[in-house]
Amino acid sequence: MNSMQLRLKVNGESQQWTVAPGDLLLDVLRREGYFGVKRGCETGECGACTVLVNGQPINSCLMFAAQAEGCQVLTIEGIAQGDKLDPLQEAFLEYGAVQCGYCTPGMILSAKALLAKRPDPTEAEVREALGGNFCRCTGYLKPVEAVLAAARVYRTQAARLQEGRASQKAKRKSQKSKPTEGL
Amino acid sequence: MFDHIERFYRPTSLREALLLLGKVGNRGRIVAGATDIVTQADRSTRFLVDITHLGLNYVRRNGRGWAIGSTTTMAALEDSAVIRALAGGILAKAASTCGSIQNRNMATVGGNLANASPAADTAAVLLALDAQMVVASSRRKRKIALAEFYSGPHRSVLNDALLKEVLIPALPGGGRSGWSFQKLGRTETDISLVNVAAGLQTDAGGRIKWARLALGAVGPTPLRARNAEGLLLGNTLNEDLLTRVGEAVRREVSPISDSRASAEYRREMSAVLVRRALRECAAQAGYKL
Repeated sequence: MNSMQLRLKVNGESQQWTVAPGDLLLDVLRREGYFGVKRGCETGECGACTVLVNGQPINSCLMFAAQAEGCQVLTIEGIAQGDKLDPLQEAFLEYGAVQCGYCTPGMILSAKALLAKRPDPTEAEVREALGGNFCRCTGYLKPVEAVLAAARVYRTQAARLQEGRASQKAKRKSQKSKPTEGL
Repeated sequence: MFDHIERFYRPTSLREALLLLGKVGNRGRIVAGATDIVTQADRSTRFLVDITHLGLNYVRRNGRGWAIGSTTTMAALEDSAVIRALAGGILAKAASTCGSIQNRNMATVGGNLANASPAADTAAVLLALDAQMVVASSRRKRKIALAEFYSGPHRSVLNDALLKEVLIPALPGGGRSGWSFQKLGRTETDISLVNVAAGLQTDAGGRIKWARLALGAVGPTPLRARNAEGLLLGNTLNEDLLTRVGEAVRREVSPISDSRASAEYRREMSAVLVRRALRECAAQAGYKL
């Protein structure tokens, strides 16, 4: 069997793996220990294997690993900042959007991509974005509520960040102007 | 599942890709989005040639028409301002129904056409837009009308050649126009049981000067309902004409029964969807039935 080298970034870390030319991204990620990438239907229907490739959700069961050469891959393992959960993860816990949990990684990643593109989505947009992630437990109501709640948290964080930047800028400005006055 | 694949090639120019395809012959397959190839899992394939690094991901004006690179994804089509504005946005609408967002981020318009599924959603629209395919092999480059492209279910005249781009000619000018894409599936993004793309051009008096009716999933290939189109020409749209056009469509389609729907149901729904599409076209063109 021929093998080839695959270079990519997974959750921000550069990786170089030896893969077979026909390997699927799903299989390679799980072989390398990313078990948050779930094996479901293996025909691109259920979305359990969803990961983000260059920020876009894709079904890793329908993608050859070799297609990910040079790409940035994000799995559920890369969502939290150290011990601090992502607002989407917090919201899924808070709203009881996780039951058996099998669809959750894919759902959170699909939601992450949506919120990067649309910080203030309508419920219909959330439902559309999660349309490729099958859940057999929750009936979708709780995940949809969780995504809408996480969107509010993201927006508040972004607003605070902007405020912080603005006040820092003002501070720098006033510090600069003081010595001038002293002269 | 794919342990029979010996090499995965990533050419970076069209020339390199064509040379490779010539070399691997019928044991090679082109990979763009891979969504069809992986699900089909054809064990005779030994070599995969990834054509997504050839610079064929674009939508641009081409004279008075448009050119779409074959590796443009469904997601890119539905997000493109140019495609959303073209022909009432029917191509963008069709692209947005080609599976979940995960699949639309990978699946390409070239793949949707080259795979030659009778149910391909962009095929019906591109038939209604008189699209031409620019097809290249190591020996020659040629243009084929999409209407001449299909030779049967999952069969086309492409053979070992590469679909480079899709050309859409200038839309008929003058008068008023209307466009519609209608799809019937178990869900909005599921495979079509029937799909219809329609385009109408009328003169100031509402008389139809130009008409296109294309249908998918109701014959061995995506098809134009040319008899039905003929009934429209020179007439104004009214309930009586809609009924007659529906009847003509019913006779022109040749659906099969499968696990998704019976032939009778598909035939009936072909007429329903065509009438629905023509009503939408009429509303867009600004006249009441």
